[in-house]
Amino acid sequence: MATVIRTDALTKHYGTVHALDGLNLTVDEGQVHGFLGPNGAGKSTTIRILLGLARPSTGTASVFGSDPWREAPSLHRRLASVPGDVSLWPNLSGGEAIDLLSRLRGGGSGAGFEAARTRLCDDFQLDPRTKGRAYSKGNRQKVALIAAFAVPADLYVFDEPTSGLDPLMEVVFRQEVARVRDAGATVLLSSHILSEVELLCDRVSIVRAGRIVDEGSLAEMRHLTRTEVSFVASDRATLAAAATVPGAEDLGQSEGRITLTVASDAVAEALPRLAQLGVEGLRVSPPSLEELFLRHYSSEPASAARR
Amino acid sequence: MSTLAPLLRQRWRRDAAQLAVWIAGVAALAAAGYPGVRGSYGDEQERIALLATVMANPVVLLFRGLPSGAGEAQLVAFLLLPWLLLLVALMCSFLAVRHSRGDEEDGRLELMAATPAGRTMPLVATVIHGTGAALTAGIVVALVFVASGAPVTGSALIGAACALVGAVFLGVALVAAELMPTSRAANSLAVWTLLATFILAGIGNALGTPNAELTRMTSAPLAWVSPFGWTENIRPFDADDAAPLVASGIVAAALLILAALLHSRRDLGASFVPQRRGRARARAALRSHLALIARQSRPAVIGWMVAGALVGVLSTALATVAGRLGDGNPAVTALLEALGGADDLARGLIVAFFVMLGIFAACAATQTVIRARQDETRGTAELVLATTLDRQRWLADHLIAALGAATLTILAGVAGAACGSLGQDDGGALMRDAAIAGAGQLLPAWLFGGLAAVLVVALPRLTAPVAWALIAASAAIALFGPLVGLDAAIADLSPFAAAPIPSSDAVDLRGIVPLALVTAIAIAGALTGMRRRELAA
Repeated sequence: MATVIRTDALTKHYGTVHALDGLNLTVDEGQVHGFLGPNGAGKSTTIRILLGLARPSTGTASVFGSDPWREAPSLHRRLASVPGDVSLWPNLSGGEAIDLLSRLRGGGSGAGFEAARTRLCDDFQLDPRTKGRAYSKGNRQKVALIAAFAVPADLYVFDEPTSGLDPLMEVVFRQEVARVRDAGATVLLSSHILSEVELLCDRVSIVRAGRIVDEGSLAEMRHLTRTEVSFVASDRATLAAAATVPGAEDLGQSEGRITLTVASDAVAEALPRLAQLGVEGLRVSPPSLEELFLRHYSSEPASAARR
Repeated sequence: MSTLAPLLRQRWRRDAAQLAVWIAGVAALAAAGYPGVRGSYGDEQERIALLATVMANPVVLLFRGLPSGAGEAQLVAFLLLPWLLLLVALMCSFLAVRHSRGDEEDGRLELMAATPAGRTMPLVATVIHGTGAALTAGIVVALVFVASGAPVTGSALIGAACALVGAVFLGVALVAAELMPTSRAANSLAVWTLLATFILAGIGNALGTPNAELTRMTSAPLAWVSPFGWTENIRPFDADDAAPLVASGIVAAALLILAALLHSRRDLGASFVPQRRGRARARAALRSHLALIARQSRPAVIGWMVAGALVGVLSTALATVAGRLGDGNPAVTALLEALGGADDLARGLIVAFFVMLGIFAACAATQTVIRARQDETRGTAELVLATTLDRQRWLADHLIAALGAATLTILAGVAGAACGSLGQDDGGALMRDAAIAGAGQLLPAWLFGGLAAVLVVALPRLTAPVAWALIAASAAIALFGPLVGLDAAIADLSPFAAAPIPSSDAVDLRGIVPLALVTAIAIAGALTGMRRRELAA
């Protein structure tokens, strides 16, 4: 499988502030890749470098095998992007902005474009005749999303694309991402909304203070973590009995329930013993992305890196 | 009322520097009056000759006040009063929109209206702040006149006139801010009203009846339609009539009350003239970055072209007046020769006016290039640079549009000069001089576009202030250098003064080589630098 995005020991300094501190990101063709981290972790800086809007201080970035700083115009023929905070021209209507951006990307005409544009305006419920200055944040976001989806691309780069959208529009956005993924495109989706990434992404990179601290498919990441098992305490299922479950750690009891954790790839081995104890109200919770995320962010104090 | 003080402090804090510049400018203009008149029209015969010439040429009266006698003080008032009024009116007009529709459009008024200040108190604060600024300007002007040795009554009247005209246009702009949906639209409605009434006053004065000695003019009734017109009828240092100021007071109060009424009758964010809806689809022509810039710059460039055409008309239409002035007044002759650097009075006048045209063209170019920086800070540059547009092309498109804007402004000026020369005895010769002087000012105008582009690349944050300061300094040297006897070698540092000019049978190329060289280096340097320039986040 070809690599679409690769960064190697990427750093970016703004004065004494290290926005990126040796970031290695790899995105393969056809992936929907989640790029997760809180505000200020370096997501937007990385995306600006990948779009050729900023130059790395050291390290290299490549998109489709070329240097985005040097080859931006030719790369951008294959790429659609939506910035985190969309600004529009105050005196251009949304419809005009969509047409202009589509044309500047080399599309914006033909029956395919017309159909896609009409469908997207309907789905996103955009009034294209409103002037740019009169749109709310969510509507400006919709204009940029429609312009991005209306012309087919090989790579879509979204920087917190749903931050101004209501839940119904988030559903439309997810449908569109699924559509372009099925068409074979690659998607890089930066976000701090874990549920969104969990729903959309095949692979996830977690960025912290300008570095990737964890990378993999959600399934792979879960292997490295522990699954929480809990049940109602009873005469047979006591805390002492729970300690005999194979691989059990982190035992505890609260509000009448006993909790323990087992390695996520060893849950099946724990089940026979739990059956012998006749546990009731059994709950097995695989780790959510949120826990993965918090694990990386609670261990050490956050560094001072800011964009 | 406890919310009024913080609102006033906030307005003061936001405006202090800006208002200081406005009021200092007004004071500087007022201070320039006496030395100017004493230098050029020192004795009464010269002043009488000047007024007689002016009465014969209505075009001059469009841009000056109401002739009210040939004394030194009366002549200063005749030359300056309309411009002092205009500056104070503009200051108050922009102030009003900035703190009303401007705040409302950006959502700041909503923040303030949600506090105990409510919807009304911000408007009250703006009115107090604006009348305070107008009053300050009026007091400063009066003090400057008294300090220059003018009689106290007339000086006080001029000060009061400035303050009251300021209050009138504070009201005009606040009403405009209630009517229009955007600060841009409100500003243009207010400024067009201002300019229209200014011109109306000029026409009213020009159509008036001069006295037998040709030293005093009685305005036509039309002048009384305009605040500028009736205010000029105070005739400072002559009749010293305060009665017209009552009209200003009444109109100002009526407009402010109207603004308050309109404000109380509408929702926050709404406007009486609705926000216009845009097109659902872009026109076919809007398909390149250059087309986008052309569309965004169009209104401003049209404005510069109108200004350029006006300067062009005056440059040739006044040629005959210049001849007559020169016959009777050696001081004027010397002045025009110094300004124009030409051996012939009519040609000198054209060259002097075309320096002004070059300045307008340079402003048009600079404004267009600065748009690149505004595009960047607003975030729309990021949108277009994420398409197939590369960074150098992005800047190059702004430069192409800027050079085009400058060229169109000059062309409008030359076209204006052609209109002005119609029916004149030596129209052909005037036209030739205007065409050469216009072509000569192309290079300085382009140069400032190139310099602005260098600033966008190298000093992005300082682009606008430094670019405008460069033009202002060069304009001041070119326009006023000769008047204060500046050494020619220093005056030629101003690109406008170093431009090629017509001579009697050929073209004096002057600084064409260094101008062309610096322009080419600036443009090439900016485009090369853009290769390594990141987009500001």
